[in-house]
Amino acid sequence: MTCRVYLFYIAKQMKSGELLGSLEHIILLALAGLDGGAHGMIVRREIEERTGRNISIGAVYATLERLEAKGYVSSFTGEPTPERGGRAKRLFRVEAAGTRALQVSEKTIRSMMAGSKSRWESI
Amino acid sequence: MRRTSPPAFACWFLYSVVPVPYREALLGDLIEEYTLRAESASPLTASRWFWSQACRSVPSVVWSSLRSGDWLISMSIALGVYIAMGMLKFAADLTISKFLAPEQATYVVLAPVVFLTTSAIGGCVASRIRCGATIFLALIVMITVAVLIDLKICTIPVPWWYQFGFLTLGPLSVLMAPAIVGAFVAGDAQPAK
Repeated sequence: MTCRVYLFYIAKQMKSGELLGSLEHIILLALAGLDGGAHGMIVRREIEERTGRNISIGAVYATLERLEAKGYVSSFTGEPTPERGGRAKRLFRVEAAGTRALQVSEKTIRSMMAGSKSRWESI
Repeated sequence: MRRTSPPAFACWFLYSVVPVPYREALLGDLIEEYTLRAESASPLTASRWFWSQACRSVPSVVWSSLRSGDWLISMSIALGVYIAMGMLKFAADLTISKFLAPEQATYVVLAPVVFLTTSAIGGCVASRIRCGATIFLALIVMITVAVLIDLKICTIPVPWWYQFGFLTLGPLSVLMAPAIVGAFVAGDAQPAK
């Protein structure tokens, strides 16, 4: 009963746009773990190292763009470097709304896990 | 001597297809990672990785761009270029059939050349105006050819592969021409030494 009330509370707290997709969640977590600001390739590498998922750089940028539109991350342009063929980096950082969305997602997952962990662990 | 510049054609393919908001950052990231991989592994492995990333990235960024509403502008540009292409092709066809080659056999040989040339020119123009427009132009060309084949507009008896060539090579020339032209014209996608 307590769990249900708690879930209802979380659902009420969330705005419609605050639900994170799986890739959004992973990318936001990766970005949160990188201090200061990181560009797409660093985020991609971080995800590959930590999860073994070889996602494309295009998917990372498309997701970051979506997260930026939701106000969870912000971006700024870095200096062009010769290693990048004279192209500037687009650096991303997590905003307060992004941190809040991560907290809400984590609470939701924990609550759902607590309610059903015993069932899927026994399978 | 080890090659440390990424595949020029892949760079220009990305440059032609990837929408503006992603283009610089995405290409820069790929070039940076390519250089690191070419130094730590082999240039061949790095090139393979680059191509794989390029091909897998395009659907994601194009889809994201479509969802954001940029597609309407790109679509309008593609339509405009397509009309211009149609006029150019019509003029060329008219010139060939009236003055240069009135016989059917010669026309059958020249028609694909005219079609592919106008498609390539259209692709280059669309890419010059807006990179995202090339994808739409390729789609429009493909749909038009498919409709024309279905309506059996061509009265001259031709083998199936002749029409299939129009269907596949037309959109391909729209997509590839800006990449090929770009790769030959400048090499600014290569990292500075």
